[in-house]
Amino acid sequence: MMPAAIETHDLTRRFGDRTAVDGISMCVPERSIYGFLGRNGAGKTTTIKLLLGLLKADAGSARIAGIDVAADRIGAARKLGALLEAQGFYPHLSGYENLHLSRRLLGLRAREVDRVLDVTEMAQHGRRRVADYSLGMRQRLGLARAMLGAPEVLILDEPTNGLDPEGIADMRSFLRELPARSGATVLLSSHLLGEIEQVATHIGILSHGRLVLEGALAELKAGLAGEVAIQTDTPERALAIALDHGFDVVRDQHDSVIARFTPREDLRHATACLTRVLCIAGGIRIHAIAPRQRTLETLYRHAAAQ
Amino acid sequence: MSTAPLQSPRFATALAVEIHKLRRSLALLLAAIAPLLIAIFIFFNMLRLQKPMPWEMALQSSAAIWAFFMLPMSVTALTALVAQTEHGPRSWDHLRALPLPRWHLYAAKAICVLGVVAAMHLLLALLTLLAVELAGAIKPAVAATGPLDQSAYLGLLGRVFLSAWLLVAVQLWIALRHASFVPALAVGIGGTFFAVVATSAKAGVFLPWQIPVNQLASDPARAQFALLLGMIGGCIALTAMLLHLGRREVR
Repeated sequence: MMPAAIETHDLTRRFGDRTAVDGISMCVPERSIYGFLGRNGAGKTTTIKLLLGLLKADAGSARIAGIDVAADRIGAARKLGALLEAQGFYPHLSGYENLHLSRRLLGLRAREVDRVLDVTEMAQHGRRRVADYSLGMRQRLGLARAMLGAPEVLILDEPTNGLDPEGIADMRSFLRELPARSGATVLLSSHLLGEIEQVATHIGILSHGRLVLEGALAELKAGLAGEVAIQTDTPERALAIALDHGFDVVRDQHDSVIARFTPREDLRHATACLTRVLCIAGGIRIHAIAPRQRTLETLYRHAAAQ
Repeated sequence: MSTAPLQSPRFATALAVEIHKLRRSLALLLAAIAPLLIAIFIFFNMLRLQKPMPWEMALQSSAAIWAFFMLPMSVTALTALVAQTEHGPRSWDHLRALPLPRWHLYAAKAICVLGVVAAMHLLLALLTLLAVELAGAIKPAVAATGPLDQSAYLGLLGRVFLSAWLLVAVQLWIALRHASFVPALAVGIGGTFFAVVATSAKAGVFLPWQIPVNQLASDPARAQFALLLGMIGGCIALTAMLLHLGRREVR
């Protein structure tokens, strides 16, 4: 098992009666890109604030690069760089000055600012006031600030927020190369499944404050039940017949019948069986039959439904 | 290439960063404008006169207007502007996640504000002297007479500054605690209002917004009491502020 860059154990945080983070035990392997998924209000930002020591846990613990956040917040923070939703730049100062202030507080050498500006391709805009920056430039500057001092762990909260398609593509390729280039581990919080799917090596899915699924993305997708979409004139009847014969079927919003098969089943053979049941036993006329791709969206929907 | 920290973050660094943030800021503009307004008033007031005014009276009136009204209002605005430097762009999360003790952030802010207020007093002294000299040069008939006791004037402004520490602490605490500038402004305007309307009230000396003007009181014991209350009360309030803000969660 790979060593963990971020590890939590039964991490819990309540706000009054509401449990925002409910006993999360997550493990982010070193040098991974960990997609942290969940709908708005699922508890992603609260978890991130707990990892950064901005909030105190009501129960459980969090460790960054082996350092307990509650016991040694400053030690854990030394291992971290973060791009938060609220970037917190001083608009009356230039991008360079903003990074310079953070650099001084971190006790780093002056040339570190030039390095991160180069890495994020912001060097030519460094002398402009942040007030004049576009949203995309602010995101890049936020990323540059998170990378000051080459931290072992980067926590990026919605880094593609407000970026145009070109900016999103740039950010994606940048993030993909990051672990290999700098050795950093990236915790990437987002609700954009497509983006996460293209860059993440691991995922964790939060739902109502609980971690409902976690693991290597490729393994999770391989282990996902296969799905076949069947189009027919009589979806209601097809659904009833399939259910009668013990198939796991549902009807989707496009009136297709979706049949789900376990990973152990041979998808082609199982589909043929179902087709026979529908056509021969039920007399159903099938217009089209097609396997559905095993996507992160499917995984997410399965996990969120739990 | 090594990116390792040169040293553990020190308080002096946090203070230097805080001073850097003032560059091109509205807070710095306010710090220059408030004493300038007093000097402009003194200048035009002297030009209105028919007879010369003694130096002592000119300087006393500058210090009185300052301590009575302009100082509490300026401190209210200054602390709100300095706090909004962080509240505005929502930079507290970023700052509080940095690997340094959180009290450094708040203490640096407090010292920075006290430094700016001290600089405002020095600027007031300089601009008042210039205003009086300039008015005398333009209209020799009203040129200030009598001895110019600069050290006494600086001493008075120094005591006004030291007695304003409690005022600075209260206003800064409220401004840092609340993301909206409304509570800080409401308290500051309300405090100044009561300080003005209750000038002769005996209990007025306990009002942080009225403590500085008590340095001009004819009763030396009252002035001394106000000075100690302002300074010691300010130190206690600032310490309490550091403990409170350093420990509280910013959601």
